[in-house]
Amino acid sequence: MRTLRGVFAALLTIVLTADGHASQRFDRPLPGARSPRNASYDIDVRLEPADRSLHGHERIRWRNISANPTSELQFHLYWNAWRNAESTWLRERRLGGNTNTPRPDAWGSTDIRLLRVITPGRVDELTPRLHFIAPDDGNTADRTVTSVPLSRPVAPDETIDIEIDWSAKIPRPFSRTGYIDDYYFFGQWFPKLGVLEDAGWNTHQFHSGTEFYSDYGVYDVRMTVPRGYVVGASGREAGLTDGPDGTVVHRYHGEDIHDFAWVTSPDFLVRTRAFTHPTLPRVEMRLLLRPNHAGQEDRHFDAAAATLKYYGEWFGPYPYDNVTIVDPAFQSASGGMEYPTLFTAGTRWIAPRREIDVEEVTIHEAGHQWWYGVVGSNEFENAWMDEGINQFSEARADEAAFGSRNYLSRRYFGGVIPWVFDDIRVKREWDEGLAGYRAQAESDAEATPSFRYWPSTGGNITYFKTALWLHTLERWLGWPTLQRAMSTYFDRWKFRHPQPADFFQAIGEAAGRDMTPFFDQVYRGSNTFDYGVQQLTSTPAGKDRFRTTVVARRFGEATFPVEIVTTFNDGSKKTERWDGVERRAIYRYDGAVRARSVEVDPNHVLMLDVNYTNNSRTLDPRSGDASLKWSLTWMTWLQDLLITYASLV
Amino acid sequence: MRPWCDGWRRVVSAPAVIAGVFLVTLLAALPLALTLRGALRDHLGSSLAANDAADGVNYDWWQEFTSQASGIGTTFTPSIIGFATTLDSVSGLLDRRTLIAPIASALGIYVGAWMLLTGGIIDRYARGRRVGAHGFFAASGTFFFRFLRLGAGAAAVYWFLFAYVHEWLFARWYVNMTRDVAVEQTVFYWRLLMYAVFTALLALTAVVFDYAKVRAVVEDRRSMIGALIAAMRFIVRHPGRVAGVYALNAALWLAIVAIWAIVAPGAGGSGASMWVGFAASQCYIVARLVVKLQGLASETAVFQRSLAHWGYAAAPAFVPPAPPIVDARAISASR
Repeated sequence: MRTLRGVFAALLTIVLTADGHASQRFDRPLPGARSPRNASYDIDVRLEPADRSLHGHERIRWRNISANPTSELQFHLYWNAWRNAESTWLRERRLGGNTNTPRPDAWGSTDIRLLRVITPGRVDELTPRLHFIAPDDGNTADRTVTSVPLSRPVAPDETIDIEIDWSAKIPRPFSRTGYIDDYYFFGQWFPKLGVLEDAGWNTHQFHSGTEFYSDYGVYDVRMTVPRGYVVGASGREAGLTDGPDGTVVHRYHGEDIHDFAWVTSPDFLVRTRAFTHPTLPRVEMRLLLRPNHAGQEDRHFDAAAATLKYYGEWFGPYPYDNVTIVDPAFQSASGGMEYPTLFTAGTRWIAPRREIDVEEVTIHEAGHQWWYGVVGSNEFENAWMDEGINQFSEARADEAAFGSRNYLSRRYFGGVIPWVFDDIRVKREWDEGLAGYRAQAESDAEATPSFRYWPSTGGNITYFKTALWLHTLERWLGWPTLQRAMSTYFDRWKFRHPQPADFFQAIGEAAGRDMTPFFDQVYRGSNTFDYGVQQLTSTPAGKDRFRTTVVARRFGEATFPVEIVTTFNDGSKKTERWDGVERRAIYRYDGAVRARSVEVDPNHVLMLDVNYTNNSRTLDPRSGDASLKWSLTWMTWLQDLLITYASLV
Repeated sequence: MRPWCDGWRRVVSAPAVIAGVFLVTLLAALPLALTLRGALRDHLGSSLAANDAADGVNYDWWQEFTSQASGIGTTFTPSIIGFATTLDSVSGLLDRRTLIAPIASALGIYVGAWMLLTGGIIDRYARGRRVGAHGFFAASGTFFFRFLRLGAGAAAVYWFLFAYVHEWLFARWYVNMTRDVAVEQTVFYWRLLMYAVFTALLALTAVVFDYAKVRAVVEDRRSMIGALIAAMRFIVRHPGRVAGVYALNAALWLAIVAIWAIVAPGAGGSGASMWVGFAASQCYIVARLVVKLQGLASETAVFQRSLAHWGYAAAPAFVPPAPPIVDARAISASR
């Protein structure tokens, strides 16, 4: 037993002192490259607008960078999520509350016509061996993952070529892909390999609440589209040639990317602008803008440039020399999505400048170039590592670049007519969805694989809980420390696949302390934080003396150190530091001045506190004034409503 | 234009009617406002959050309140501030937003109050002279049960419009027409068309039932089916005048809404600024009520101008019965 314990301790030491916890043993960059480039795709694809189909031929050069040989290959066929109503994606969508049945013309699918594996001196036709698997839920109706047994295993560091012929029925817009009118957006559109880790294949089915995961490589893609169609794609345009029957072939080439998306439509306005910065590399920004948004060119470019600037300064420079911003068609369901070197923004016809929705979505998706694109975390299992970290990063950039004109707005009349509330300036923490998190705080522990989150509430955990605990860390440790941790993490894990522990390790290193108790609560647990004031009294205790008693209370199950500040009538303050572990802390003060108020966590360090109203108490409350003012305001709203509805009688 | 001006003259010459309907509007909203006030005060308690909420907007607290609120608390949204109130109520009506039970109940009571008062209001405007409180309420009581019957018919039509026509226009036709449209403006124009069609149907229904009420009062009709048919006949025979007056009233409403959009107070603070803001809001409410009254008055004028005797009202002026003491004296004198 002692020997076993010793081996375990030795292993733990190795793991903890190693440069992270790589899930693939040979994930170092190829010489002269930024990434391992172990999954490179060479694709010819033809768009047939007449029958809304794609026809493709791809050749994948794949190297096994795991520690073990494999005797099978696994591929994602994402578009089969819309092949039948019993796919896991549609089942989960129904669980999430969307019970709409897709219309007959909405379905999409991918069929592999031919699959062969080529090794030196050998070609194996493996098409008949293809079979669908459902590693996550055993759903036999789900066809989003296919497996093919190999004739002989592929050893670690061995390279093979795979050829695939496939056809796809383009769906009506589903989950950021598909067509509407003559606008086509193609995401997850080709048969794509899963990720072979040391522990085996990591090829999850397509889930309604999570995204993707794949290896880095070089993509060389030739897209044949009707003449007059503008194309935007991952990578950079590398050629344009005439094709048959009035078509044009657009060739795009991208290096060290792990996915490839493209868009085409005859309606785009093409704009370009350069991002320049004293210390960051120059980036060419290309904007594909819908004609009805022509006046919003600057807003898109400004937001993209703000991302390149702030993310570049805070975390590390954008490693590519170009980025494409796509303004998606209305009702295309393709807005607000990230792909390597290309992302979709999303704006509205009427978009007041005093609300920054278009800037926010642009910064968010551009920000994913760092958290998803360059740091390639597993979005199926740890969606918070890209969405949550990026949500936090985006809010910082939003505030830094556009905070002065960020006001709350609401939309009326079917969502078309906006109204901006000049009284309500949006603060960064609201952007983190405290309200959404508060309502669903206990719905899932963040450590649960993201694809197993409850579909309708998972977003609050993935996005908002993460952003809130990052805000908490920023306020607790200070931005310089957190920024150092995040830039270290970015630099250490760029073009690789980090695990949650790698992020926690970077935070712990920068903080110079054991952060395990914090992450035990915010990551591994689902308890809520709620500190408050249970009691405040300040009563006469002899001549010109007052005895003040403060009782601070931990109402939630989770713990966090907090400050307690008592303010007296002469403006003096007493500050206490409470570790927040016990249920309550009692403080007594004897003095010549009566207490006025007490606040627990007055600087709102603990952004995860689900009830901040109970964090303070005053002996001179103004709830009467506030409630009178707001009930009168509300009464006017009700009177207006009554008159409007009564106008019918 | 003349009937419209005539209607306006009748409205402004009866300020007590304006005051009365304003009081009814205030009383219909007050109980729920008091209930909300209690909920807000309880939630704020002795928290310092009340300071920011009193002096401006404490959106942190606001979101916290709504996340735990139920009933009318769920309607405590930013849409209660300033001009958003109007956008919210009109959009809510045209988009068929479901009202929560307490609001629907208040609306039911308010509509009932209007049904009670409308007879008296039209009677007052039809006569164009003071009738006294007793005359006003006597006419209100006389026509209340007739208007209840008429209201049942109106409710059936509105139910059909909201349950079926709205569904057909917005959930089927609009969706089908815009399903493949990739340009937001085009989609909005379709939506605008749907709003126009639906609003026109609502307006047509309201006008028919308004004129039915006018004919019922002016001609002292007892059959509400007869009044309804007579109203339709009148509208068909005088489409220009009816539409013209309706358009002028709609323009007046739009003008008031436009002014409100400019001057509507924001959240403001507590104390004097709160009362100034509240007074401004109540002026807007009064203006909205005046538009509604102007609708009834101008429609009454339109109808009366089509009659041989301008200002004709068939129902005799109400003569109150003598108090019992008069009868007692008469009896004692006869003995």
